[in-house]
Amino acid sequence: MALHISSALAVSARLHPLLRFCFHNTCPEMENASGLQRQLASMKKNLFDQGYLDEQFNQLEELQDESSPNFVEEVVTLFFRDSSRLMANIDQALEQCPRDFHRLHKLLHRLKGSASSIGAAKMKNECTSFGEFCSEENLEGCPRSFQKVKKEHTILRQKLESYFQSLSLVPSQLLRQVGPVDKATPSCS
Amino acid sequence: MDPSRAASTPSYGPPGDGGGPAPEFPAGLRVLLVDDDPTCLKILDRMLRKCLYDVTTCSRAAVALSTLREKKGWFDLVLSDVYMPDMDGFKLLEHIGLEMDLPVIMMSADDHKDVVMKGVTHGACDYIIKPVRMESLKNIWQHVVRKKRNELKELENSGSVEEDDKHKRSLDDGDNASSGCVGNWKNAKRKKEEEEEEMVEEHDDSSNTKKPRVVWSVDLHQQFVTAVNQLGVDKAVPKKILELMNVAGLTRENVASHLQKYRLYLRRVSVPQHHSRFDAHFASAQEVTYNSIGSVSGYDFQALAASTQLLPHNIAALHSGPRSATNTGMGVSAIDQIGFLNSGKQVTNSSNIISSSVQQINSRQMSDIHGPSNNIELNQHGQSQQVVQPFGSINRQFGEGTTKFFSSPSSELTNFSLPRGTINGQPNNSLARHMNQHGQQFPISQQRSNMEITWQGQGLPRSRGQLLTETACHDSRLVSALLQQVPSNNIPNHVSGGLETSANMLTSLPANYMNASCSTSPQALYPDVHNSFITGLAGSCYPRVSSIGATPQTGSVKALSNSSNLKGMDNHVPNYDIIAEQHQNKSQDWKLQNVNLPYQSGQNLRHGQSTIDCRSSLMGNQDSTSSAKNGFNGNAGTVVKNIISTGSDTDKEKRECIVQHKTNLVENCNRVTYDGIPDFSYQDILFEDNIITNELMNVVRKQQQEGIEQVDNEFNFNPPV
Repeated sequence: MALHISSALAVSARLHPLLRFCFHNTCPEMENASGLQRQLASMKKNLFDQGYLDEQFNQLEELQDESSPNFVEEVVTLFFRDSSRLMANIDQALEQCPRDFHRLHKLLHRLKGSASSIGAAKMKNECTSFGEFCSEENLEGCPRSFQKVKKEHTILRQKLESYFQSLSLVPSQLLRQVGPVDKATPSCS
Repeated sequence: MDPSRAASTPSYGPPGDGGGPAPEFPAGLRVLLVDDDPTCLKILDRMLRKCLYDVTTCSRAAVALSTLREKKGWFDLVLSDVYMPDMDGFKLLEHIGLEMDLPVIMMSADDHKDVVMKGVTHGACDYIIKPVRMESLKNIWQHVVRKKRNELKELENSGSVEEDDKHKRSLDDGDNASSGCVGNWKNAKRKKEEEEEEMVEEHDDSSNTKKPRVVWSVDLHQQFVTAVNQLGVDKAVPKKILELMNVAGLTRENVASHLQKYRLYLRRVSVPQHHSRFDAHFASAQEVTYNSIGSVSGYDFQALAASTQLLPHNIAALHSGPRSATNTGMGVSAIDQIGFLNSGKQVTNSSNIISSSVQQINSRQMSDIHGPSNNIELNQHGQSQQVVQPFGSINRQFGEGTTKFFSSPSSELTNFSLPRGTINGQPNNSLARHMNQHGQQFPISQQRSNMEITWQGQGLPRSRGQLLTETACHDSRLVSALLQQVPSNNIPNHVSGGLETSANMLTSLPANYMNASCSTSPQALYPDVHNSFITGLAGSCYPRVSSIGATPQTGSVKALSNSSNLKGMDNHVPNYDIIAEQHQNKSQDWKLQNVNLPYQSGQNLRHGQSTIDCRSSLMGNQDSTSSAKNGFNGNAGTVVKNIISTGSDTDKEKRECIVQHKTNLVENCNRVTYDGIPDFSYQDILFEDNIITNELMNVVRKQQQEGIEQVDNEFNFNPPV
C-alpha cells in the first residue's frame, strides 16, 4: 500500500501538482475518483477499440486545455445537435421525388465532414457507403444506407453521452489527467 | 447553427496594424475561415488558434466575401469549405482570386479526385481532406509566402531587376520564418505591390516621355506570343523574343515590358479559371474563359464556349484571336476561340464589349486609336464572345473587331450574364436587349442587326435591368457597338430622351462598337464580386455615378458630372465629345468613370463596398496610368458615364445598363490589364473617353488590382516604348 502510494505520488508529482496533493491524501473521494478515472479510461478505450471513435478524437482532446476545459464536450454536443438537423434534411431529400442527388451529395458530405471531424469513425464509414449509393443514384440503396447512418449516429450519441457523464463526475483536477491520457491509466490504478 | 459573422478575433499578436510588434512568423498569420458546419468551424478555429494564427471565422460565404472586401489587404489566407449552402466554395474561390488574389485553401470531406482537381484548377493553393488535423494547419503559412515570392518573381522578370532584388531579398528574409522576419513578409508583400505599381508607372513614364511608343498591334502581339510560345513562357527572355520576332524598330525594352505584362496577364488568367462565379452566368462564362486562358495551350475552346461567362481574359483572348496579333498572346488563338466559344451568347457579347473596352482602355494604345477604331477586334470574332478583356493585345484595333462581335451574338440577349451577377442578371439582359435594339439603329458597320440598342431614343423603356439584360443578349456586341458608336457619332441619335445620354453614347460609338453588348457582358462576366462594380453600372449606374463622382478624384468627378448630365441627351453629348477626346480627359475621367460605374450600381450596394474599394484602387491606378490610357479608359468610362449620368430613371436605366456594361467592360478590362490602364475599358468604351472610360478605367483598374491579372492590363496597353 505504501509502495503503491509512493509510486502514485511519484507519478502524480510528475503529472500535476494538484494530483500530488490528491494522491497524497488517500481519501475515499480520491479513490472513487481514481476508480472513475479508470472507468472512464476503459470506456474510452472501448470506444476506440470498437471503432466508434478514431484518432481524430484525440486531436480534439489535445485542443482542450485550461483556456477551454470542456472543449471536447462542447464540440460533441454541437455536433449532435447540428447533425440531427442535417439528417432530417437528408431524410427530407430522400423522400423527394425525383431525388435530387446533387443536393443529397452536398448534404452527405457536410455530414461526413462533421462526423469525421469529431472522430466518429463508424458514422463516417456509413456516410461513405451512403455516398456511394448516392453517386450511383441507387434509389433503393440510398434510404437503406442512410438508416444505417442514423443508427450509428444514435449509438454513438448514447455512448458519448454516458462517457461525458462519467467524465463530469471525475474531479476536474483528475480530469486534466484523464483527458489527454489515451488508453493508459495512471500508475495508481 | 447560427450564421455568425465572425468578428475579427486576433488570438495572438496585433490584429491588423501591419505587423507592429507581431509575434514570430508564422504566428499572427491572418486567416479567414469559412465553413457552414459549426462543428468543423469550432474545431478548426481552435486548431488555428493553437497554431498562433489570427483567426476570423465566417459561416457564410457571402459574409466572408464582404469581410474580405471591407478589410482589403488585411487577410493573408483564406480557408474555405467546398460545400456550402449559400454559395459554392469554388465560386468563392473564384471571387477571391479575382478580387483579392489571396491564397485560398479548400477543405472537404469529399476526397474524390475530380473534386480535388476542380479545386486545383480553380486556383486553390491546397485542398485538405476532412477531418483536418493540426499538422495540416501548421504549415498553411507556406502558401502565403510562396505566393508572395511568385509575385515578386514575376515582377522581376519583366521589371527592373534592382527593385526586384531588393524585394526578393526582403522576401527571402521573410521566408526564413525566423523570429526576426515577421514583419518582412508583410512588408515584402506591400513592397511588391508598390513595386508593381511603380513599375507600371515607370512604364508609363517612359512611354510618355522617352521614346516613341510602340503600339502593340494585334499582329505584333501575335508575333510576340508566337515567339514566347516557341521559347516557352517560362523561359522566354526579351532578347530572344526580340530575335525571334525580328521586327525592326522594336527594342529589347519594349519586349521586356510587354513580356512582363503578358506574364502577369497569364498569371491572372490562370488563377481565376475555376473561380466559380457566384453568379451562374458568370460562372460559366468566366470559368470557361479563365480556363481557356490559363490553359492556353491545352484548352479546349469549346469548354470555354460553354462557359457563358466571359472573363476579361476571354476577351483578351478574343482579341488576340481575331487579331491574329495575339493580343493575349496566350495561345491567343485559343483564347479567342474561347471567347467566341463561350459566349455564343452573352458571353460573346460581353467579351466583345470587353475586349473593345479593353482595347479602349489601352490608353496607351488609345492614342493611336480613335474611338471607333477601337472596335476591338472583338468584332472580328464575330462571336459576340464577350471576352471580357482581350488582353492588351487588343490594341485599339478593336474598332473593327468589336463590331463584329456585336453582330454575332445577336440573338441572345438573355445569354448575357452581366457581371452584375445574380442581381443584374436580368437587368443586364434587358439592357443588352435594349442596347441591341438600339444598336441596330446605329449605323454600326457590322452585322449589328442584332444590336438593338434599345436605348436609342426609345426612351429606354426598359428598366435598366432590361437594358442590361438585353444588351447582354446581344450582349457585348451591342453594347460595345453602342459604346463605340458614341464616339463615332455615326450613330444617329436615335436615342432620344432618356436614352439620350445613352444614345449619345451609342451614337458616338462607332457603329462597330458594340458598346451595348459590351456593357452587358462585362457585367455578366464578372462574378458577383465584380458585379458590385458592374452592378453599379448596370442599374444604378446613374445614380451612383453621381455619387461616385463625389468620391472619385476630382478629375473623374468631372467626368461624372458630365455623365450625370445624361439626363438629357444633350448633356451627354458633351460627354461623348469628351470621349472623343479621350485622350484629353484621360485618366481622370476614366478613373472616375470606372469607379463610379461600379459603385453606382447602387443596387449592389453591398457590392458597393467592394466596388468602392475598387474604385479607389482604380482611381489610384488610373492616376498612374497616364493619360494615354485615359483615352482608352475614357471610352469605357465615358460610355459608362454617359449612361450613368443620364440620370433620369428611364434613361437611367438604360444608361445604367450601358454604363454598367461599360463598367463591366471596364472592369473586365481592368481585370485584364490592371496595370492601371484599363485596357479593357478602352475597349468597352470605345467611346473613349472620359466619361466612361474613367469610370470604367476605375472599375477595370480596380478589378485588376483585385487580382485580375495585371498582365492583362499591360497587354492591353501598349508597352511603354
